[in-house]
Amino acid sequence: MTDREEAHRLELPRSIAELPTTAARFVGKQVPRVEDRMLLTGRTEFIDNVTLPGMLHCAILRSPYPHARITKIDTSAAEALPGVAAVLTAEDCVRWTRVLPTMPPGWGTYSLAQDKVRFVGEPVAAVAATTRYIAEDAIELIEVDYEPLPPVVDPAKAIEPDSPLIFEENGTNIMYQRFFHWGDVDRAFAEASHVVSETFRWHRVGANPLETFGVVSQWDPVDASLTCWGSFQAPSYTARGRAVALQIPSHKVRFIGQPHGGSFGGKGGGRGTDVSVLLSRKTGGRPVKWIEDRMELLIGGSSQAWDRHYEASLALKADGTATAFRVKLIDDLGATAEGFGASGAAKPLACFTGCYAIEAAEYDLTIVATNKVPASPYRGMGPPPHNFVLEHLMDKAAHELDIDPAEIRRRNFIPPDQFPYTIPSGNEYDSGNYAASLDKLLEMSDYQRLRAEQEEARRQGRYLGIGVVSTIEPGVFDWGAYAIVGARGTGVPEGATVGLDVMGKVIVRVGFPMEGQGQYTLIAQLMSDYFGVTPEDVQVVQPDTLSAPPHFGPGGSRLGVAITGAVLGAAVTLRDKLIKVAAHLLQVEPGAMELMDGKLRVKDDHERALTVQQAAATMLMRADLLPRDVEPSPEATYVWTAPDRTSGDEQGRSKGYLTATNACHLVLVEVDIETGQVEILKYYIVDDCGTRLNPATLEGMLQGAVAQGVGAALLEEYVYDDAGQPLTTTFMDYLLPTVHEVPMTEKASLVTPSPFTPLGAKGAGEGAINTTPAAIMCAINDALRPLGVTAREVPATPQRIWRLLQDARRPA
Amino acid sequence: MKPAPFAYYDPSTLEEAVSLLEAQGGEAKLIAGGQSLVPLLNMRLARPTAVIDLNRIDGLSYIREEGGRLAIGAMTRQREIERSELVQRRQPLLHAATKLIAHPQIRNRGTIGGSLAHADPAAEYPALALALDAELRVLGPNGQRAIAAADFFVTYLTTALEPSEVVTEVRLPALPERTGWSVLELSRRHGDFALAGVGTTLTLAAAGSIEDARVVLFGVAATPLRATAAEAMLRGERPTEALFAEAGRAAAAAVEDALSDIHASAEYRRHLVSVLTKRALTEASSRAGAS
Amino acid sequence: MESEMSTRKVRLTVNGQPYEATVEPRTTLVDMLRIDLGLTGTHVGCEHGVCGACTVLMDGLAVRSCIMLAVQAGGAELRTVEGLGHNGDLHPLQEAFMDCHGLQCGFCTPGFLMSVCELLEHSPDPSDDEIRDALGGNICRCTGYQSILESVRLASKKLREQPS
Repeated sequence: MTDREEAHRLELPRSIAELPTTAARFVGKQVPRVEDRMLLTGRTEFIDNVTLPGMLHCAILRSPYPHARITKIDTSAAEALPGVAAVLTAEDCVRWTRVLPTMPPGWGTYSLAQDKVRFVGEPVAAVAATTRYIAEDAIELIEVDYEPLPPVVDPAKAIEPDSPLIFEENGTNIMYQRFFHWGDVDRAFAEASHVVSETFRWHRVGANPLETFGVVSQWDPVDASLTCWGSFQAPSYTARGRAVALQIPSHKVRFIGQPHGGSFGGKGGGRGTDVSVLLSRKTGGRPVKWIEDRMELLIGGSSQAWDRHYEASLALKADGTATAFRVKLIDDLGATAEGFGASGAAKPLACFTGCYAIEAAEYDLTIVATNKVPASPYRGMGPPPHNFVLEHLMDKAAHELDIDPAEIRRRNFIPPDQFPYTIPSGNEYDSGNYAASLDKLLEMSDYQRLRAEQEEARRQGRYLGIGVVSTIEPGVFDWGAYAIVGARGTGVPEGATVGLDVMGKVIVRVGFPMEGQGQYTLIAQLMSDYFGVTPEDVQVVQPDTLSAPPHFGPGGSRLGVAITGAVLGAAVTLRDKLIKVAAHLLQVEPGAMELMDGKLRVKDDHERALTVQQAAATMLMRADLLPRDVEPSPEATYVWTAPDRTSGDEQGRSKGYLTATNACHLVLVEVDIETGQVEILKYYIVDDCGTRLNPATLEGMLQGAVAQGVGAALLEEYVYDDAGQPLTTTFMDYLLPTVHEVPMTEKASLVTPSPFTPLGAKGAGEGAINTTPAAIMCAINDALRPLGVTAREVPATPQRIWRLLQDARRPA
Repeated sequence: MKPAPFAYYDPSTLEEAVSLLEAQGGEAKLIAGGQSLVPLLNMRLARPTAVIDLNRIDGLSYIREEGGRLAIGAMTRQREIERSELVQRRQPLLHAATKLIAHPQIRNRGTIGGSLAHADPAAEYPALALALDAELRVLGPNGQRAIAAADFFVTYLTTALEPSEVVTEVRLPALPERTGWSVLELSRRHGDFALAGVGTTLTLAAAGSIEDARVVLFGVAATPLRATAAEAMLRGERPTEALFAEAGRAAAAAVEDALSDIHASAEYRRHLVSVLTKRALTEASSRAGAS
Repeated sequence: MESEMSTRKVRLTVNGQPYEATVEPRTTLVDMLRIDLGLTGTHVGCEHGVCGACTVLMDGLAVRSCIMLAVQAGGAELRTVEGLGHNGDLHPLQEAFMDCHGLQCGFCTPGFLMSVCELLEHSPDPSDDEIRDALGGNICRCTGYQSILESVRLASKKLREQPS
């Protein structure tokens, strides 16, 4: 960077100690959440609370076939039902919209199926009526004639040349196929003294937030503009996407993201939004509400991910250090690429070789279309299955080489003095000390005693297993991370406006809604310590997408970093203005002043000071007292994006994720070998997410992600039969973990601050889900190894474990 | 997920309820606790012309002991049965089985009559009724009659009730002397429907051999099943681990047409029967010894 | 005895206040609460009685309002999350959840609060096993339950220490 660039670069505090406060009172501490009072009293305005005059309710008619031509639609009986205001079919979509954008491009349809249906649950028609009850009555009156086509359900068959095609016009069911080669993998395998290989099957699993998706859309026919309220995870992105799909000029589209009941990647909007918009348009501008119900989410929603078939190998030297890692993945993405689930196949590049100094790797990736629900992002975004594969192979190598599983990892860790470290697939890890995390984990879990317990249990005929795993959670994504599947651009701007009013209260405007991670509390903490106030003096406001600063929101584990960067950048800019004002009033040079504990004071004469409130009030009310080059506005906007991002070279290598959090887990399980049931007995975590801005939030993120990891490993699975019919259509069949199934975990932390981020924080929301399935599967295999059993299919249901035990007992 | 339209009646006597059922010609559904019915209504899997609510009828909720048997009114909430000191003392198998039903919130509304009439193959109460040779009293247009549990459960979600009949009471024996009991189930999550369940009572003779054995299986076939072959094998024998394992195998082998779904295949269910039977008998045996 | 497909008047008490609504027989209790009575603190998560988000107290007992018909609640005394706390002050149960970070997105929280309410009213000093049994039918997708258990333990302590 040149001197000129340096001079203009905004200096954000690089640690909590650099905040302008003698001692941080809020950042880094547990504080009552500002969101909680409203949530606890049931007053938060989730989308289903939004009611507008004349509002109609939408119900969607969905395909009962996985693959069929639509030969006729007759909506006349539905239209005639009292209370029905409009009925929508694909004809309306063709007239008013474009085909949905997809990633990879070219695998999309209209929001309502046109000519053919491609998955059970695909929207075919929609009704707007005075109540949801009547709307559901009406969709039953819509007559649709289908001509069933042979369903494509097995991705291996889908790529055969004679397979029926999901999109005839594409000539294939292969959405994407590439072979990535980083470093000399062939030589590493040829020279390896030991190779371990395995195949794996990871079944569909998905977000299932407790609140389903919802939207209220209102078309204004006079202004030809659109307003949507909804549980949008990233309102500006959804707004932009809808403007394109619905062919509305972008400045005429206004989205309001409501606080929502979790999302975990699955609240992008998509078809439901479009359908409600078109119904509003068709009714001449009445607001139309669509609340996805649970069955709709399970059968046709944005909640299915990671339907995967893996073949993988690790090449090792005799001492257990791995030299190369080969992965072949067939990813069954479902019927279209509209859900952006392909990003989950790209993200593993950001942590491909995990915590390990493996120098060469290969990724043979095929993404396939089948007649199932289009896959969507789900927390973790792809690494959970990938990490399971890598950690399993590490354990397998440990066993075959007679090295302790914790020790083999230690031998492979990237040493702490090698950061920033670039992995073969191109991403850069910012900082870390994996060996120290492991040490802490083994100590807190009393690892040696657990091994002794395991031995003793074996003698008694009980099967305990220990899984020790260490993974990387990439944080703060940039588009380059998904460049290989078609994402374009660099930079994910996150903006905030920070302002003071005459009373010295702090108002912060951001673009994203509340989702559960305590975003607004973090902002209040930061501004309290920055301006010497308390969280009660801070108000976070979220305007609509036309008034908000550029934003993406907390997705991709961005919260601790991007939003921190945005508000601190705005605060720093505002501080500079306030100092100019104070310096002018105190008749010193701005360079002689500093902000500390809410006071703008002369550095070597602290008595000469103005409070932040006084400076702000002066700016707003005494323009005569201001220096010429300061506008009377105690407010500043800053838009943060991760520095030095790259968009991906010809081998897909990019600096796609800014931070690398380390998650180190140890789990003790017992397997009942008569029934195949797995019980989790103990669970320990050491987590290094850099500077810890809010310990309670971080622990909550960890524990919540552990629960999802337990669900993925043992309980949750979207099942389709051979004819493409979904069999998990209610919560009786898709099993979310309850308090009985989730272990209470013992947590400790290590802190290796990031050199690249404001305050040194790293992304922290996804680490446990990336790690827990690997830990549990390793533990199961550790338990059952003496019986010659290898569990390679996730979830490890009791029946699957029992079947493995049966097969192992049979004579060869 | 909103129900299709239906008419609603909330009669204040059983007789009215029966006439209403008759008038609807078999197209109406009774609602007791509603914990099974309303989800079906919401999913539009049940589309009755009318719903007839039994909750306003007095005198159907009671737990009494009469001549060594417990008489329980059909509308008695599972919660009441769970908390009944009389039940815990006189028929602890029923108490234990009740605690296995779903979750407290379900038990606050669910009734014993509703559970028996719904006849879910994985439900605890139908299995218990069968194990204990309970008697169900029902009222219909032709008056009252009693149906033995052995005759009540016909097939999947189907009982011997005529379309216009209502269960009014269930009678079951108190646990005899020198009798141990156990009810075990295996489910995917705590409170879920059993993939397989076993309920058992073992009555020991003074000399220590098994005088009577009842073994009922649930969750594995279209109705609960008495494992009669296993029971026969146990009678007269001394309780041993090996005997219980053999009884388990016999119980499993006798299950024809085991259920199969995404959670458990028929083969796995049969295997669970053998394991759970063995474990349940072991537990029952130690309870019998202790009493 | 009334009948027919047409609507029916339901009179009940919610949080100590009398309410009245005219609903179709097929209207669920949670829909009547939210839509007809404007009490939107109770949430809808699944509409088949599994997730517990819709839990309310009916005559002192926790029930799943998504699988009750509104017409069945006539004459009942309901309590919902809006009835906890008073005039902006939080109930000790709500305070405990706040102190222990027992919520993240907050969507399941009203259902948990009402289930915990029933538990602590009937069992003021529950063991961890009793707490788990009471809450096994309430699903949370965010917290992983550990902080919820801590919240309930603290709430139990707060309520026992309250002057009655």
